[in-house]
Amino acid sequence: MSNRLIIFILAVALLVISIYGQTPAPRAANIPRMADGKPNLTGLWQALGTAYWDIRDHSAQPGPYYQLGATGAIPAGQGIVDGGEIPYRPEASAKQKENFKNRLTLDPEVKCYMPGVPRGTYMPFPFQIIQSQRDIAVAYEYATANRVINMGKPKEAAVDTWMGTSNGHWEGDTLVVDVTGLNGQSWFDRSGNFMSENVHIIERYTLADADHLNYEATIDDKTVFTRPWKISLPLYRRKEKNAQLNEFKCVEFAEELIYGHLRKK
Amino acid sequence: MSVRFLMLIAALTMILTAANALEAQKTAWGDPDLQGTWTSDDCINTPMQRPANAGEKLYLTEEELAQREAAIARQTENDKQEFVAANARPNVNPPGHWGERARRPCRQTSLVVDPPNGRIPDLTPEAQTRIIPRGAGNNNAQPASWEDFSFYIRCITRGVAGSILPVIYGNGTQIMQGPGYVLLLQEMVHEARVIPLDGRPHAGANVRSYMGDSRGHWEGTTLVIETTNFLAGKTGIGLNGGGTPTSDALKLTERFTRINANTINYELTIDDPKTYTRPWKVGFPITQEPGYQNFEYACHEGNNAMFNSLSGARTAEKIADTK
Repeated sequence: MSNRLIIFILAVALLVISIYGQTPAPRAANIPRMADGKPNLTGLWQALGTAYWDIRDHSAQPGPYYQLGATGAIPAGQGIVDGGEIPYRPEASAKQKENFKNRLTLDPEVKCYMPGVPRGTYMPFPFQIIQSQRDIAVAYEYATANRVINMGKPKEAAVDTWMGTSNGHWEGDTLVVDVTGLNGQSWFDRSGNFMSENVHIIERYTLADADHLNYEATIDDKTVFTRPWKISLPLYRRKEKNAQLNEFKCVEFAEELIYGHLRKK
Repeated sequence: MSVRFLMLIAALTMILTAANALEAQKTAWGDPDLQGTWTSDDCINTPMQRPANAGEKLYLTEEELAQREAAIARQTENDKQEFVAANARPNVNPPGHWGERARRPCRQTSLVVDPPNGRIPDLTPEAQTRIIPRGAGNNNAQPASWEDFSFYIRCITRGVAGSILPVIYGNGTQIMQGPGYVLLLQEMVHEARVIPLDGRPHAGANVRSYMGDSRGHWEGTTLVIETTNFLAGKTGIGLNGGGTPTSDALKLTERFTRINANTINYELTIDDPKTYTRPWKVGFPITQEPGYQNFEYACHEGNNAMFNSLSGARTAEKIADTK
């Protein structure tokens, strides 16, 4: 065999390998699917861990009220930020520290405000996904917040809102959600990590198996961060026989805090 | 070909088309498909209770309907002019056309459809003593605290009935369906009711909530939702959740029946023996309208009215003290 022929055969072999190598990963077999073959994300999901306190690595520490003793303390946790650091601009980093210092008055969660995206995903509450043949709804237990992911022709955000405008599409078995029109008043956690109204978030939901939903969100906000960054965490299907989305209408738990100084003496 | 044969073919085609249309109203997993955004706007001006002198007359006469239709046409014309003129004369109140309007007259004389006289049944003696927040209509001049306002004004909830009864705006209910679930999304105070359809039992009796614990099932093409586990003494069965607060014995049964492409008949049975001397029903059509959609209603987040009402009352007291 001539060298030329060997090279030709090798080239063809490489081409074949590279083509096969590029085909998408085989479809996961053990996940629930809709009639049209799309993964069915319907279910009650919840994050574990303590990202709701701080999405970055953090040690155990006392909570803001010593009266609560150990029940009010903050558990240690591994962060969910890829690479560990949030790439704040210097002035934004200062604002985060200021937010943390004043978190009891500034944190929107303290006041029972809607959580925004992505915070609602990893709060210590479950959320319910209901997937229709077209659009996909997410109902969060916290504050009865909810959003509908439009799976049709993408819609521009009509106005800025707490929960944003969500346009989704499927990339293989991954639900990709483009979130715009966020009002920038939401935080990421109870540690003052924040965004602006210029934020653009792309979420990715991928079923790892029937009971684990991998979640990723890429955060792009040039006003606050020097580059886009990413969080990722698994979500767990709530498996208790009687698990269901309960009601947490927290306004009345926050009224004394918000309006107490205006109560008639 | 005979004319008769042609007519037979035409009839068969019509039947098949109709059958297809019905088939099209099923989800991929075989449930009747009620999805869409439905509004109770058409019955905005229909009173909850029928005037006593109307007796058992549930529906308007053709003549009365024609009058309502003419009134809606006049209102539409008026709104068009107001839309242009509103900016010319600023006012503390928003212009009327900011609200939602009926697009066609509601045929009913009252939202209460049972008892046959269209009146809310008598309250039990105990229910008559229940306290309704004084500021239920947001008109409490001197509130001591937020607790003097209704749960609606406090942006907590309007309850199950109050979230669908027609009011000045925000009358939309978006229905979404997934395998095993129905979801009802309501704009005002951003309610999200998750309704399991798998026949599971209700939550334990000590898990209580404003919107209750709902279970759904299908009776033919009718969606039936039964809701229990309500908190006692919160919202009532009135517009925006007003009226006498209901008890912990409240059981609500809702029936959503699609009667054509753009209309669902909604019927709500109120069974609360601790509050009412007999069960009763409200019912009205909800419709899909071109361009009608829900928006985010960040009620509590923007509740400056509460802050202003309370700070205004305290300031008024201070001024009175110095006199």
